[in-house]
Amino acid sequence: MRDATSRVVVDVTVNGLSYQREIEPRLLLVEFLREELGLTGTHIGCDTSYCGACTVLLNGKVVKSCTVLAVQADGNRVETVEGLESDGKLHPLQSTFSELHGLQCGYCTPGMLMAAKSLLDGNPSPSEDQIRKGIAGNTCRCTGYVNIVKAIDAAAQQMREE
Amino acid sequence: MEMKFDGNFEVGIPRAETFALLSDPNKFMPVLPMYHSMAAKESEPNTSIVKLKIGIGKVHGIATTEIALQDNQAPEKASYVGKGNVMGGAYNMVVGFNLEDAANGGTRINWHGTTQIYGRILSIAGGGLSGIAEKEITRVIGSLQDALASREHFEAVVRQAQAAPAAEGLIARVARFFRELFGSAPAPAAPAAAADATDTAPARTEPLRKDPSRGVIAPLGSSIQVDSDGSKQWTGQRLRRKEDERLVRGLGRYVDDYVGGHIAHVGYVTSPYAHAKILAIDVSAAEALPGVICTLTGKQVAAQTTAFMQIGAEPSANLKDYGIAQDKVVYPGEPVVLIVAETARLVEDAVQLVTVDYEPLPVVLKSEDAATDAVILHPEVGTNVSFAGVWDHGDVDKAFAEAAHVFDIGRLHFHRFASTPIETSGAVATWSPRGEVEIVCNNGLPGVTVQMLAAFLNVSTEQIRMKSEDVGGNFGTKTVNHTYIALAAVASRAIGGRTVKWVETRTENLACFHGGERTFLDTKVALDADGVITAIRSRHLDDAGGLLRYEPLGCSIWSQVYPATYRLRNMHIEFSQVMSNKAPCTPNRGYSRMQHIWFMERVIDICAHELGLPADEMRAKNYIRADEMPYTTPNGNIYDSGDYGMMLDKAKELIGWDEWQRKQTEARAEGRLLGIGIGSTVDSGTNNFGQVLYVNPHQVFSGNTEACRIKIGLDGSIVVTLGSSPQGQGHETTTAMVIADDLNLPPDMITVRTGFDSSWNTYSGLSGTIASQFAVTGLSAAHGAALKLKAELLRLAAHTLQAAEDQLEIGVGAMGPEVRVVAEPERAINFWMLSNLANANISNVPESLRDINLNVMDVYKPPFEPVDVEKKIGNQTLTYAPQIHIAVVEVDRTTCQPKILDYAVVDDCGVAVNPKIVAGQVHGATCHGIGAAMQEAFQFDESGSLITATFTDYAPITAINMPPLKTAATSTPSPFSFNGAKGCGEGGGGPLHCISAAVQDALHSEGVIVTESHNSPSILMEALRAPNRAQVVARA
Ligand code: FES
Ligand code: FES
Repeated sequence: MRDATSRVVVDVTVNGLSYQREIEPRLLLVEFLREELGLTGTHIGCDTSYCGACTVLLNGKVVKSCTVLAVQADGNRVETVEGLESDGKLHPLQSTFSELHGLQCGYCTPGMLMAAKSLLDGNPSPSEDQIRKGIAGNTCRCTGYVNIVKAIDAAAQQMREE
Repeated sequence: MEMKFDGNFEVGIPRAETFALLSDPNKFMPVLPMYHSMAAKESEPNTSIVKLKIGIGKVHGIATTEIALQDNQAPEKASYVGKGNVMGGAYNMVVGFNLEDAANGGTRINWHGTTQIYGRILSIAGGGLSGIAEKEITRVIGSLQDALASREHFEAVVRQAQAAPAAEGLIARVARFFRELFGSAPAPAAPAAAADATDTAPARTEPLRKDPSRGVIAPLGSSIQVDSDGSKQWTGQRLRRKEDERLVRGLGRYVDDYVGGHIAHVGYVTSPYAHAKILAIDVSAAEALPGVICTLTGKQVAAQTTAFMQIGAEPSANLKDYGIAQDKVVYPGEPVVLIVAETARLVEDAVQLVTVDYEPLPVVLKSEDAATDAVILHPEVGTNVSFAGVWDHGDVDKAFAEAAHVFDIGRLHFHRFASTPIETSGAVATWSPRGEVEIVCNNGLPGVTVQMLAAFLNVSTEQIRMKSEDVGGNFGTKTVNHTYIALAAVASRAIGGRTVKWVETRTENLACFHGGERTFLDTKVALDADGVITAIRSRHLDDAGGLLRYEPLGCSIWSQVYPATYRLRNMHIEFSQVMSNKAPCTPNRGYSRMQHIWFMERVIDICAHELGLPADEMRAKNYIRADEMPYTTPNGNIYDSGDYGMMLDKAKELIGWDEWQRKQTEARAEGRLLGIGIGSTVDSGTNNFGQVLYVNPHQVFSGNTEACRIKIGLDGSIVVTLGSSPQGQGHETTTAMVIADDLNLPPDMITVRTGFDSSWNTYSGLSGTIASQFAVTGLSAAHGAALKLKAELLRLAAHTLQAAEDQLEIGVGAMGPEVRVVAEPERAINFWMLSNLANANISNVPESLRDINLNVMDVYKPPFEPVDVEKKIGNQTLTYAPQIHIAVVEVDRTTCQPKILDYAVVDDCGVAVNPKIVAGQVHGATCHGIGAAMQEAFQFDESGSLITATFTDYAPITAINMPPLKTAATSTPSPFSFNGAKGCGEGGGGPLHCISAAVQDALHSEGVIVTESHNSPSILMEALRAPNRAQVVARA
């Protein structure tokens, strides 16, 4: 068995850029993003995969990056909140979250945005119920979810019109 | 944003020549006052690339425009089509002209232009862009008119302009300003400095930097979103928050985001026992692990520190708390050994290698048991009772003697839960060689915490630099993470000052930060024949947990809302607090008052049910009336304003009260358990710290203070710092709005720094974000500072503009924020020049104005008088924001699962500075209350182990458990705050009150009285299995 401190090399594409790092095999993906790449937009809020503050997309699929080892992302594609904006243009979710006050402290926001993006990528016209289910794995302690649900709905509408 | 302009003017040269000049950008562009340089575009020779200097406020940039002549119909008309970038924004424009012969051989130029502007420039210019554009156009036309007076003149001007240096340095600009302002040149005649890099740097057009540690964050396009209600005031507008610009991009900086090469990590071996003696600690195996830097036991910490200051009086003041266990542990999760290692993962490894021998002791969990002192937690205190006092007001005996109805109510219990911000507590500490410690953390009450830390670490408060930036929620719980912050500082000192980071795990957070639990015993209620409550007698037992971290302050805080929303004048409450083998309690949203109001609401509903009175009528009878405001409670609190009856009517309308009554009748006929419950609450905000004297007459705190500083930067920028420590409440936005109103400037021109930093020197001994106070304390300080600054600006400008102060106004001019003569707006001096005079160009200012620094601080001090400690009478808070909640709840007969079918809330926070932010606070507080009432609870087994020890077990409320809310607001301005606002962040626990009421309404027919604030299926199942009404309520 490999000892916990012997290091392995991983190659991960994050927001379109590829990174090679030599890491401890036990490093979590969220730790890899934050500590190795300095992408601190992905947050940590719990230690039992409950809160979703660490939500990112792995090969386009929503995952809790505290529950994925960095080595599992080797050779794969990760998208984080830092990659949502493209060519200086905010993602509609980023705009509607701000316009409709879907964030207060902002700590859950990156994970919430990624979960919502994944939801809308798969379902461009979700019902309120589907929106609530889509973010059921993401805890927000500030907003009571009221404006988050509204913001996701508004972004969906904006994206449909575009 | 799109702007359209048109106009006409005449020049002295004939049409053909005018056309030739206007259709050649090489000729006329250099004449423009903002001309910088130009070149032909290589790929398209008909297109010119023109650079123009643009200044908006403090920001100066270069606009790069590609323009091409189109529709060239010499000598009649032509137009330019252009597009370009400036200051991170972009624009398209079409400018056309149409020439006619004029009478004197000259030409009349009819011109029209349209421009669309996008991006950051809009937010830089705020709402003032069209004004700025208009001024620029006037300048352009003036220059063209001058230049085209005659051909010779025109050519001379062009030659001159082309020969001028491309970049105009700072000193030359200063000189030009003085020339323009005073018509002469008093400024130094030094040559233009080449170092004026900001002025010539190309405008930033590249997209956002992806590296958050170094990147610059561009604003979210226009952040100005003013409802078009024609109001000129920023206060009251639903502005988008400034904070969002970084937060939606994942660019907030929270304490855990401080990453660096040389940070060591701190973590703890914690107690698995609720109560045990520590017999031996062996750290040798941990210390031998490569990467472990050092370990510290409680004894080692105590040897170099002074136990934390206690808030309470003796004997609880004798408690020795070092933040880490000494000889014994008193709750599960208590830190026992501190470990410092190279990485957080190595800390976890080392934790496994420490052995601690414990001798388990009997565990005390129930407050009533703790109160007997059969098992004592802290021998140095000698009792578990950390406070005992009596509140006695009015004539309680007389009221009972005269009562028409008297009810005895048995034990009621408010459960333990916490609002668990998604960001846990954390601290990064570095001890400098000069004996100073720099701490980055997410503490909520830094003004007080600095004092706590200094005493513990044996240093001066001035040796501590404490700061926080973005904070991921708090809800009161981070008010008392100071013991952990202090231990991080100790750890840094222990390893030679190297930076250490401590970030709590979620499991540690759930083990160590609990909201307050309270038991209500021996309650007796007197009512008149009409159902109006005339007196209450009761015994309240608060549970502080194993240590006193902010307690026993809660033993005074509850009495801010002594009679809740009701008029009764006769109350006798014996209030005490005990320590038990559970986590120490922290303030938690609704702190101490929510527990008391829940008790009062239970009393109201139990009495209403017993008397057969509807819950709404019962309340309407008992509410304090609007015409009695400001209302002084029996213990001297002054409720500022509010119309509870009207709010109840509004909430009933919102939820469809009559319709639900009808549905309830139907449901009951079908045997379903459906209840409707009201919760009336009041959120008391802006503490009078003098109430600490109720728990310790020797304490040295009273009143309240909060600080704000505004300075005009050397370049004219407006920079604000605060003493508060925001955690999502949008202080940057609301502060900018208040100052914007005072200074007549758009909020986007006002930079409010993020978070708290003691090195800004903008704080007071009570600074922080607690107790629903910022809307009053922080914003009053901002208002005070803005008025001081305005006075300085006007005094200085009055001198330079040679005008009386009362003829001046502040506003946005072509060169940014300025002071100008109202009647003659061209007579103006901008903030940059004023700052220059106050800070760097002093000789031009007379002696009498040299006290002006344009860097002012105000400390707001609400008008609190000392409290009467003996009688427990005094005003404990400044504002009282009521909320009325109504819930419709159905309890499933088989599973006993309660379900919210409908929910409405009406709030009144007086004047809402930013209604969007206020609504967000109402939603958040409501969600916490619903979570606590329906699912969240700290639960223990009989050995004191925490069963709900992880998020998965504790299960904080998610979007699928949160019902949609129907919300409305009323506004009765507070007479006690400058802007009529009241603090409203805590909310007052309304959902706990109304859900208990609704569940009781649903189960009353089954003989159930709701005695627990937690409504889990198991509790309701037990209640239905063994109906308790006969034991809980008795008519005396
Ligand atoms: S940190 Fe990943 S789910 Fe909480
Ligand atoms: S905005 Fe604070 S946790 Fe969601």
